[in-house]
Amino acid sequence: MISINYRDGRPIYEQVRDGFRQLIITGVLPAGSRMPSVREMASSLTINPNTIQRAYRELEAEGYTVSVPGKGSFVTDRLDAVLARREALLTDFRSLVGELKQVGAEEADLTRVIQEEYNT
Amino acid sequence: MSDAIVIRNLVKTFDGFRALDGVNLTVPSGSVYGLVGTNGAGKSSCIRCLAGIYRQDGGDILVDGQPVFENPAVKARIAYIPDDIFFYSQAGINDMVKVFRDVYPSFRMDRFTELGKIFNLDPKQPLRKFSKGMQKQAAFWLALSVMPDVLLLDEPMDGLDPLMRRKTWSVLLGEVAERELTVLVSSHNLRELEDVCDHVGILDHGKMLLQRSLSDLQENMVKIQAVLPEGTDLPDGLHVLHRSATGRLQQLILRGRAEDVERQIAACNPVYMDVLPLTLEEIFIYELGGADYEVQNILLS
Repeated sequence: MISINYRDGRPIYEQVRDGFRQLIITGVLPAGSRMPSVREMASSLTINPNTIQRAYRELEAEGYTVSVPGKGSFVTDRLDAVLARREALLTDFRSLVGELKQVGAEEADLTRVIQEEYNT
Repeated sequence: MSDAIVIRNLVKTFDGFRALDGVNLTVPSGSVYGLVGTNGAGKSSCIRCLAGIYRQDGGDILVDGQPVFENPAVKARIAYIPDDIFFYSQAGINDMVKVFRDVYPSFRMDRFTELGKIFNLDPKQPLRKFSKGMQKQAAFWLALSVMPDVLLLDEPMDGLDPLMRRKTWSVLLGEVAERELTVLVSSHNLRELEDVCDHVGILDHGKMLLQRSLSDLQENMVKIQAVLPEGTDLPDGLHVLHRSATGRLQQLILRGRAEDVERQIAACNPVYMDVLPLTLEEIFIYELGGADYEVQNILLS
């Protein structure tokens, strides 16, 4: 469910973290579901277990998962995490809009794109 | 985390030639350590000393805190797959199992049977009839059945096809995660090790040039592209490793954490700023201060 792209410049742990973030936000991994064990992920992706552990630690710190000692990691009901992610993306969006404005994009162009996205 | 392997000031000479010239190396237990270097850098000599095959001329080699040379108790916990694998001339895998069970008390038959499903070789066939790659697989099959604490691999993936390479790493990494197996693996190619290792050491002319954990390396260097407002220069206090410019666009390699560096540069209101990912090769090149040709050769091959 997660794939590593070696052409991608991001470090592998970030790719794993972002991959899971996506799966959790889109509901592919619903609240309460158990995260695959570090061992399973390390074997199936053939990457170092410490790299997986690091991605898992960050997901936990961001509020996407909680770890239950002896049982593994579980997806939380993730409300805070989704809100935080929304804030972060809005900030990115704002700077992107700023850049578009600088290169001469019209407000109407942007609203059209937004409407198209919302209506699909 | 304790250290599974500690090498201090290791010296090994052959006919007056110092193949290993004061090597220091530390491998925390449960980690995968990549030993990288060009041909003749000393990788194999270092591994042979670690396996207790060579007696060192100076320095300490400790596995789990114990010296290795002529110490059967420690060597029973170490499995070693050399570059040139040795099997008895008429032996099949089954015959080698007998040898291994004599040498390694921890050899587990159930594990051997289980791994047979992955390696898929005929254990009755004489090993000399196998291809090079199949012999390598046989060596992995036997070594992993030992359930070692420390596994030493000298250019292990040479001759294995991509699918078998992946399968073998998958088994190895599973054991690293599950029971803290420590792996030391040599290669002349950094890229091959990038995804499986968490520590890397670069050996050059018998000396350790650099050894680090990969996460330390990745967190302590940033590549930034920025256009600064006319007339302004970079704020003070930045540790710039490399700087080049195309027109007004500056490309900077800086030491430090991405967030910190970004904040410092943002403070001088850049017209444009972008943080770019650094490849492991780039990190090593700047870390070594744009070292000589030979090192670049390992990194970029």
